[in-house]
Amino acid sequence: MKNSNIKLFLIILSVSFYSANSLAQNNVNGWKPQIVEKMYVLPPKHLNKVLNNDFNKSLLAINLQNTDNKIKNRIKKISELNSLLPGSSKEEGLEIQHQIIINKRDYIKDMNDLLIMKKEKLNTKKIFFKKIEKKFKGNSLKNKTTSNFLNNKSSAIKRSQKLDFKILENTSYNLSKRSKYFKQYQINKDAVKKLKLAIEKHPMSNKNILYKDPLNKVEAINNYVHEIDTEIAVLEMKEQMINYMAKIVALDAMSLAEKVAFDDENNNKVVPTNFNDPVNVISVFTN
Amino acid sequence: MTKILIKSTILLTLIFSPYAANANTIDNLERERAKALNLILDKSISIGDRKSKLEKSKMRLLDLERMTINSKNINKNPSYQTIKAFEKFDLTFLVHSSLEKGKSLSLTWLEKLGLTTENLMSTRVSRK
Repeated sequence: MKNSNIKLFLIILSVSFYSANSLAQNNVNGWKPQIVEKMYVLPPKHLNKVLNNDFNKSLLAINLQNTDNKIKNRIKKISELNSLLPGSSKEEGLEIQHQIIINKRDYIKDMNDLLIMKKEKLNTKKIFFKKIEKKFKGNSLKNKTTSNFLNNKSSAIKRSQKLDFKILENTSYNLSKRSKYFKQYQINKDAVKKLKLAIEKHPMSNKNILYKDPLNKVEAINNYVHEIDTEIAVLEMKEQMINYMAKIVALDAMSLAEKVAFDDENNNKVVPTNFNDPVNVISVFTN
Repeated sequence: MTKILIKSTILLTLIFSPYAANANTIDNLERERAKALNLILDKSISIGDRKSKLEKSKMRLLDLERMTINSKNINKNPSYQTIKAFEKFDLTFLVHSSLEKGKSLSLTWLEKLGLTTENLMSTRVSRK
């Protein structure tokens, strides 16, 4: 009876690993960044912060937290069961070992889920950054075509700014003739000049180089993608570790099954007598 | 008759109002520039009239030139007309150009077209 229970347990164990993998493939609790396109202009550092905040609000983050708590509880339970093992009787010992194996199996299952969720988070982040990079490169290509026009325009602005003082000095533009726009233009220009100076003097203005330089922005995004790639590689290594852990648990389960089977054999030991051998039947004749 | 006239006026205003609303700063600048050049070339008005009218036109033209130069809307998908306007700064922004060179509006425009006194003096009448 016990033998058949252990066999059943082993079957469940192996099936559970398969189901864990297949469940992971169809994980539906994903994360889609809900970031407005206007946020794309933010410097990468701020964009990363916004992205992390967005992730914290997602269902995936909640699931990740729940699985993390489950794993902590499982480890606690396994260590508790391990501490009970030394002072237990033979029967209790077998039951505790059985419970330890079950908890280890669940731990591996949860850990596998956690790693897959972490991977999903990183992949979503990577796709997001790649999308921005693509958009940025596309924009810079588009900008190249209009760069001549923009150069002409900026030189026109410079020429006009140089002439502003000359226009004010010019007697032909006397006060009575000045239009409403002319007066407002002068006031606004002065205000803009003051604001520009304040921006230049601002301590954060020099630190925010990434925002000013588009090439640096692409490089920063590339760095983030590289970081994500390394994190994914680390997770893949951890997945390998989980595979080895699963193998150890399976071997533990097999050894427990053998132990139980051996004990059963010892308890119900019936030595079969071979009556075909004349040596074994001597007593029959002598008595 | 008057009713028909009123109706047709309303109809025409309705038809052309969207175009008027869509007219960008470059269009307005071109219109004003054409008026100013028309005044320069108009022989039917007196010198005094031309001067006073040109002063008013210059003021409007200066405002429009400033509006065009500082407009951010034209940066997005600039039309061929806009691109060309900024390529030829001296011809498009006549008031700015004349102030830069310290010459009158008419002189700046004529010189830019190649109609300088020197050029005109060097020409000669001939029969082909």
